[in-house]
Amino acid sequence: MTVTVPLRRPVEELPEALKPLRERILSNLTMLARLPAPTGREQDRVQFMLDRFLEAGLTDATTDEIGNAVGRIRGRRGSRTILVVSHLDDIVRPGLDHEVMVRADRVIGPGVSDNAMGAAVVAMLPSILEHLNIELNSHLVLLGSIQSLERGNHRGIRFFLDQYPDDIHFGICVEGIELGRLDFFSIATVRADLVCQVRNGNQGRGYGSESAVVVLNQIINRILGIPVPVRPYTVIRMGKLRAGVSYDTEPTRALLGLEIVSHDDEQVDRIIREIEAICFEMSARHAVEAKLDVFFRTRAGGIPFGHRLVSTSIEVMRKLGIEPDQKHSPSEVSEMIARDIPAVTLGITRGRKHQRPKPDYVLIEPILRGVAQVVGVLLAIDSGACDGI
Amino acid sequence: MASENWLQRRTFHHTNFWDIRWLLQHKERQGLTISLCLPTYNEEKTIGQEIVIFKAELMDRFPLLDEIAVIDSGSTDKTCQIAAEFGADVYIASEHLTEYGNYRGKGENLWKALYLLRGDIIVYVDTDIANIHPRFVYGLVGPLLVNPEVHYVKAFYDRPIAHSGQLRPTGGGRVTEILIRPLFSLFYPELTAILQPLSGEYAGRRSILEQIPFPVGYGVETAMLIDIYQRLGMEAFAQTDLDRRVHRNQDTVALGRMAFGVARVFFSRLRRDGKIQYEGQLPTLMRQFEFADGNYRLREYTIEEIERPPMIQVEAYRRKFYPETESSCAEPMPSGSVPSEQPNAEIV
Repeated sequence: MTVTVPLRRPVEELPEALKPLRERILSNLTMLARLPAPTGREQDRVQFMLDRFLEAGLTDATTDEIGNAVGRIRGRRGSRTILVVSHLDDIVRPGLDHEVMVRADRVIGPGVSDNAMGAAVVAMLPSILEHLNIELNSHLVLLGSIQSLERGNHRGIRFFLDQYPDDIHFGICVEGIELGRLDFFSIATVRADLVCQVRNGNQGRGYGSESAVVVLNQIINRILGIPVPVRPYTVIRMGKLRAGVSYDTEPTRALLGLEIVSHDDEQVDRIIREIEAICFEMSARHAVEAKLDVFFRTRAGGIPFGHRLVSTSIEVMRKLGIEPDQKHSPSEVSEMIARDIPAVTLGITRGRKHQRPKPDYVLIEPILRGVAQVVGVLLAIDSGACDGI
Repeated sequence: MASENWLQRRTFHHTNFWDIRWLLQHKERQGLTISLCLPTYNEEKTIGQEIVIFKAELMDRFPLLDEIAVIDSGSTDKTCQIAAEFGADVYIASEHLTEYGNYRGKGENLWKALYLLRGDIIVYVDTDIANIHPRFVYGLVGPLLVNPEVHYVKAFYDRPIAHSGQLRPTGGGRVTEILIRPLFSLFYPELTAILQPLSGEYAGRRSILEQIPFPVGYGVETAMLIDIYQRLGMEAFAQTDLDRRVHRNQDTVALGRMAFGVARVFFSRLRRDGKIQYEGQLPTLMRQFEFADGNYRLREYTIEEIERPPMIQVEAYRRKFYPETESSCAEPMPSGSVPSEQPNAEIV
């Protein structure tokens, strides 16, 4: 089925029409990226976004009870409500200078790609629509969500979705990278810290205890022995390891950060149970306290590939010369999908994130196409092109 | 005390001028134009964000600025390319007013900016600032737009220093506290109320800037303060707190050379103003020692602090900005000549 996107102007023309806004988008990106926003301390970015909303004439822009930045643009008819969200927190190392460099072809700095770029676009969306002379029929809700990452566990958007008084009919999550990203389903994801603490660590070791590193090593070997099926797709990623302070002292505490991902919630539940059993056994055997602390969880789900929101998004991307990339990456979209709200995650540009010591960056050239893509999908939703399966 | 009174009346915070729409109304009502001058030399790390932010916030959103220009001293990195990419006018200082010779230095660029830019108000902002923000411009322009008695506005701020990716909370202003403030206290006590006389951010009306000479090097900020003070008194000044300015650190030895240049400019003014007397010219050789390979080694630096004449005396300038005025200018100054310390001619 061919889906026609009834835009006010051809979507292909949007990047050119957005050119006069390029420096404003980059300015927002730069100023947002310079504001430190570790999870739970996003207030400066919240205020920045609210200031932008207010300057654009959104008179009721405010924070909700939990501290999200919320702006609303009333639609002419209000038959639908569309939520556009970007998370405001980042995982930049505390104390690191948030210095941003704007080069001719890229913007470089901690957190520019995840997710100052996305937040810059959401902060500017009212001005972008005004510049393009677009007045939507649908109500538009703009959200800068707090406490999304790590132990935040999407707290901001979950609170918003649970408390917002009106129905949300569609959602768009805006991420800085990668352009072409099209997430429309949610993989079951668990993130957890496995902490191994030697008993009586402060007053001397208990009987039979060993170095926390040695015990954690044995736990890791046991985890590697857990059966992981190819189908449904399931994987255990051990991503972080921390222990010890010096060469000559055996640590009393060691931490393993891990992620379990699967297309099937039951597989995740099974693996958690097995890891907890390993922790229980190793605690008894080696006189340690080994505990699995699950702090982040999303359930498997999604909208079907054939959903009009997906096919329309692909059509908009292709018109802009963007090749859709339907990989999965956790984002706020999972919270909307869990509440039966059709939603997609879109990336704005190309770049790099979280590959220390290499710095994060975003490329400037693709940004206007990325923004045009968000506007194009918004217009398509607004026209009714995405209604129904 | 007069200084305290001035401090209370003429010290602002940038938040006094946050409403750019309001500033814009003042600007339009007075029919003023405002130019931003960014003097550069190999500033590719910071120039991009400065131009992007100033253009986006103070030209595209609110047309407070009429032009943004980079005046470059011959950068060998991508400073000029980046500046042009984001819409700044880029001028290579050595390619303009060539009949008056060429010198390399920030003051040279600021002086030539008077000729190259068209604004009634010129805002000068250094380009090594890591936390650039529109307040660095509107905080300085504000007092000029709302008070016609103010002719020159100086910035002050907290100055954390970027060091190894971390921020250290203090450390700036050493030359100010050790050299400038004692000298001001001795010879121009009213000027001690200027909290950071060496700050690299200031804005002035063309009508006064064109009347004063410009040292091409380290002493330009000090010279501006003294020369404007001598002409217009303290009431011509205001200062604005811009909060925090994150910049690269300079080591103490480099600051020593800066202090030398500033001191030469200072003493030339003391003699001009009849506050001290000395024969001939002050030495231009700065001697410093460095410890290397178990020995102290003498390093000598020639720091001349050439001064450019008041721009109003430059014929090319008068032809451009005052074409109706009969020209009676001095001959072009050959490269390398030392400026006159004669009283400045005023245009009528």
